[in-house]
Amino acid sequence: MEALSRWLFRPAPLRRIAILRVIAYLFIPVDVLLTTPWVAAHAQVPGELYQPLLIGRLLPLPTPGPWVEVLRWVLIVAALIAATGRRPRTLGLLVALLYLQWMVIAFSYGKVDHDRVGFLVLLFALATVGKRGGEEAAGWAVQITTLAVVATYFLSAFAKLRFGGLDWVDGATLTRAVVRRGTALSTPLLDVPWVLHVFQYVLVCVELFVSPLLLVRWRDERRGWLLVGVFYGFHVMTFLTISIVFLPHCVALLALLPLERVRWRSRAPEPMVAA
Amino acid sequence: MLTRGGRRGRTAASVALGVLLLLGTFVGQDDHFPFGPFRMYSTREDPDGLVLSTRVEAVDATGRVLVVPDTATGLRRAEIEGQAGRFRRDPALLELLSRAHDRIRPDEPPYVEVRVVERRYRLRDSRPTGEQTEQVVAAWKR
Repeated sequence: MEALSRWLFRPAPLRRIAILRVIAYLFIPVDVLLTTPWVAAHAQVPGELYQPLLIGRLLPLPTPGPWVEVLRWVLIVAALIAATGRRPRTLGLLVALLYLQWMVIAFSYGKVDHDRVGFLVLLFALATVGKRGGEEAAGWAVQITTLAVVATYFLSAFAKLRFGGLDWVDGATLTRAVVRRGTALSTPLLDVPWVLHVFQYVLVCVELFVSPLLLVRWRDERRGWLLVGVFYGFHVMTFLTISIVFLPHCVALLALLPLERVRWRSRAPEPMVAA
Repeated sequence: MLTRGGRRGRTAASVALGVLLLLGTFVGQDDHFPFGPFRMYSTREDPDGLVLSTRVEAVDATGRVLVVPDTATGLRRAEIEGQAGRFRRDPALLELLSRAHDRIRPDEPPYVEVRVVERRYRLRDSRPTGEQTEQVVAAWKR
């Protein structure tokens, strides 16, 4: 318990939270308007095809319709104001709740995406950091986001075990992915199936054994950068090969980096590495 | 510094998040979002089996046959697949896609026929053999 508490409340600079706020809240209009415009399009789909998630049935949230357009703009405006850092707790909570509602609209039509948990936790965590809690409150927000980010990788290995079985690694899951969503870069791999087969082993190993290393705060900061870099590399690769990108998750992943050290004013923004 | 209550509340929230994510992983379903299992690509495909790929086709009022993009009906391919069971049991539901299309693209000729087509690619040793078949699994006509 003592160790858990020490890990959870390890202080983090308030400046990192301030930077994360700007990035996360500015990402929301990008997400809503540019990268996932299909969420808003659900408003046009007749209500008979709305299959509300448990949370949508419990609350209960109304069937999407013209009001979605209002929600969209309220969410965007709230996020833009929140990005200025004004009223961080109230506006932060408002944005987190509105975004959660947006997710219910997104995923209540037969398909749930799995790239949102880290980002949702980040949004709720940002709303817990006010003026009083100081660096401890900031630290908790960073750590709980880290936990959600790592869970997305680590627990997905157990989902594979549950839904695919022990021999998931020897199946043809990645072949299927490339057949269905292949790109110019990945389609040639269909002729060398052992590459995709090996990659399934690599994937499970990374999820199980490398992702937990993200929980460690390394004394040598370069290791932290390298590890997070490995995961960004992984997301770039999935984008290039099966055109899927976990964009909101990638924003949450930023919480693990010492953003407070980045010198924004230098000509080329480059990370400052501790000596 | 956090107050004692502030610490306690946050510790409880952390434990709750951990427990819910674990429950989601081992017994939850997508329905329990945001605490469902992280099941992206978690099903196993048979290396000598079939890969299914679904698309929606429509015939518009001018008689043209079109492949319907996600943006024309507001439903993504994965969502069509997620509700494929309903469309098979009750193909009349496909009229709803035609209605969505009328709302999203009022300038285009309306759809008079909508069908869900499944393409099946045969695999051998995790490699597509080149053999493909197609089947209409649900169809609606005005």
